[in-house]
Amino acid sequence: MNSTFSLLPLVIALPLVGFLIQALLGGRVVRALGPKKGKWVMGALAVLPIALGFVIGLMATMALARLAPEERFHTAPIHLFDWIRFAGLNIPFELRADPLSLTMVLIITGIGSLIHLYATAYMAEEKEYTRFFTYLNLFVAFMLVLVLGNNLVMMFIGWEGVGLCSYLLIGFWYRDLANAKAANKAFIVNRIGDWGLTLGMFLIVVVLVRQWPLLGGAERLLSYDVILPHARRIFGAEPVLTTIAALLLFVGAMGKSAQFPLYLWLPDAMAGPTPVSALIHAATMVTAGVFLLNRMSVLFQLSPVASVVVASIGAFTALFAALIAFGQTDIKKVLAYSTVSQLGFMFIACGAGAYWVGMFHVTTHAFFKALLFLGSGAVIYAMAHDQDMRNYGRLAKYLPITCWTMFAGYLAIAGVPPLAGFFSKEGILGAALGGDHARVGAFDFGFYAGWAGLLTAALTAMYMTRMTWLTFFGKEERWRAVPAHHVHEHGHDEAHGHESHAHDAHEAHEAHEDPHGFFYEHAPHEEHEHHHALDGSHTPKEVPPSMWIPLVALGALSVIGGWWLSQGHRFEYWLVPGGKYEVLGHVHIHPEGTIGKLLMPMSIGAALLGILAGLAVYWRGLPSREGWDLSKWNPFRRSAGEQFGYDAAMVETAVDGGADLSRGLWKGVDVGLIDRLVNGVAWTAGQSGEGLRRLQTGYIRFYALMMLAGGVGLLGYFVYRLANLGGV
Amino acid sequence: MDSVPLVAYLGLGLFLFTTGAVGVIVRRNPIVVFMCIELMLNAVNLTFLAFARYSHATGGAATEQVQQSFMAGQMIVIFVMAVAAAEVAVGLGIIMAIFRMRQDVDIDKMNLLRG
Repeated sequence: MNSTFSLLPLVIALPLVGFLIQALLGGRVVRALGPKKGKWVMGALAVLPIALGFVIGLMATMALARLAPEERFHTAPIHLFDWIRFAGLNIPFELRADPLSLTMVLIITGIGSLIHLYATAYMAEEKEYTRFFTYLNLFVAFMLVLVLGNNLVMMFIGWEGVGLCSYLLIGFWYRDLANAKAANKAFIVNRIGDWGLTLGMFLIVVVLVRQWPLLGGAERLLSYDVILPHARRIFGAEPVLTTIAALLLFVGAMGKSAQFPLYLWLPDAMAGPTPVSALIHAATMVTAGVFLLNRMSVLFQLSPVASVVVASIGAFTALFAALIAFGQTDIKKVLAYSTVSQLGFMFIACGAGAYWVGMFHVTTHAFFKALLFLGSGAVIYAMAHDQDMRNYGRLAKYLPITCWTMFAGYLAIAGVPPLAGFFSKEGILGAALGGDHARVGAFDFGFYAGWAGLLTAALTAMYMTRMTWLTFFGKEERWRAVPAHHVHEHGHDEAHGHESHAHDAHEAHEAHEDPHGFFYEHAPHEEHEHHHALDGSHTPKEVPPSMWIPLVALGALSVIGGWWLSQGHRFEYWLVPGGKYEVLGHVHIHPEGTIGKLLMPMSIGAALLGILAGLAVYWRGLPSREGWDLSKWNPFRRSAGEQFGYDAAMVETAVDGGADLSRGLWKGVDVGLIDRLVNGVAWTAGQSGEGLRRLQTGYIRFYALMMLAGGVGLLGYFVYRLANLGGV
Repeated sequence: MDSVPLVAYLGLGLFLFTTGAVGVIVRRNPIVVFMCIELMLNAVNLTFLAFARYSHATGGAATEQVQQSFMAGQMIVIFVMAVAAAEVAVGLGIIMAIFRMRQDVDIDKMNLLRG
């Protein structure tokens, strides 16, 4: 064991201990100390393990940075214990300290501790406070297993663990049926991705076993420090299997990182509390797919076909989700689609072969998207848990800190220099336009993905302008016009979507004021957040310090983080020694020629164009054609609001198709075949019994006659045999 | 001993057995059926004894094998008589029980197991 990194297991152990404390003692402490003090203590105990983990992670990172660049990827694994061991296979519990894993550790623990701090205030009115932090701490522990594990199987444990925690947290307010459904949707859609990931892992084992001699007969087959040094030769010898394995791994990444066919769980996942959206569904868990592609990048470097698929799907998702964001009225949904879109950007970079740029965007995106989510949480908190942007307006006056930190996040995601998003986005566009890795024959998919990315960048700037101006600026304070009880009591209830908002503003929702009253009766004294309602008398207040301190910290990171990391190839050389990939060599992120010269003006221009277009429409606030009356909406925006029908079609196909399939199996196979077979056996037995029944006449004399006949028959037979033998 | 031929014994046995078998089949009174069964058993007994006697008589020299078959023929008759006595005891008990229950012993009416 390398003593430099001997503290690293603690990074995982601390949140795990925190999880146990919250789960086993939390309720008792809160009861013993009273809600206020008890929640303060448990909140502190929830933040502390993550913050300590960050300190340890920082120490480990500095220790790693002191090593020579080539040695950073060859530190000895930290062995914890043996796990699976049979025949020629050995899968131990080991941790790997290398620049990639430690980068993720810093993001998870750093942003994680800020979000935990924020959540202590955001969830303060929640009755089941410790249950929330139980899940949140467990999530961090699993996420760290995912990134620190030294083999694919440990990564898979973390992968499934974070999926579980995501499910639990989306369904945190499980008494509302819509939230429970959203949680189920996330879990079920992710199973499709996990199917791909497991098959990919099995296929990698197959390739490794076929090329065993190249591994020198090593037993720790799936450990990175065994595979990666020989990966180029091993996987290079099996191009077809490598491409299939890479594609299957990408299916896993598509599920976890919400890419096109499987993205549909992420918008629904906004049903969870906002800190969860910030931590899990923006900053950490959804980037696991990008992490996976970076970790197993050799497979993708060796397979241009897989890279084409990655880049194309990433580009399509980025564009598609950016378009959908225009039709959203819920502030968190805008951010959710923006997350899907930005994840698409990361996959464009990975498809183009610039894996480190993907990680760079993961990092900067973690800064500004966590900031935006936490800011939206602060707005929601101030607006009595109403999430509809049509009820906001001119909040800058009331929430100055939230507004200006979020404004920094907005400029960062829009790609305005010199904020964080500008550097990573420019790197992505440069890699896509300049690289020629994602290419089949003469057709350079990466090039077109780059143009799609540029268009998306302009769209991003525009819909983020829409969100910012609808929320913080404009001429009207629209919540003053909201009639009492207009808003759902369930502020975070997402599943109603647009159908139920189609009502006119004056059509009060009396008809279904509590649409889920069947499932949840509020006790009058229950301390639960749903009790506020937004109406004209409401005055928004700035959030407490434990909520704005994380905002300020993330705001500072969003402003300078990207600039600092990109100085002198700092992030590039940290992840890729000397900037040279094993197979691809140096991947240019600055294209040559005219495009190279135009790249920076173009990406700045796209951002400014988007912002100006957004300002032109939303400067005064909510345009009348985006109000409560959906029929006045532009058809494009209306269909964007419904995800262009994709979600409904998918759910219909999956749910109704599944039902049809099941019904077909039931009627055709079960009733038609299996039941017929079983019943047929019984029928045959019955019929033969019916026939034989007639022999049982009940007359003893008949039985006697039969016995006699039998005896005579037997004797006759003996005589006949005897005669044949010549005895008579 | 040499006045009656073997075939006469066998003929008598056959007659008795046939009478018994026909009686068992055609009569409805269980007591008579029992008597007919006894007839059949005794027909068989007679046949056994006749064969035993004749194999002993015609064997001449009393070899060990002949001696054994003579004894075996006689022994099996004792067995049959013992079994017949037991059978009558059990059978009459059953008939008594049935009579107590139904006040009737017509065997054609004992048809609870009819299919």
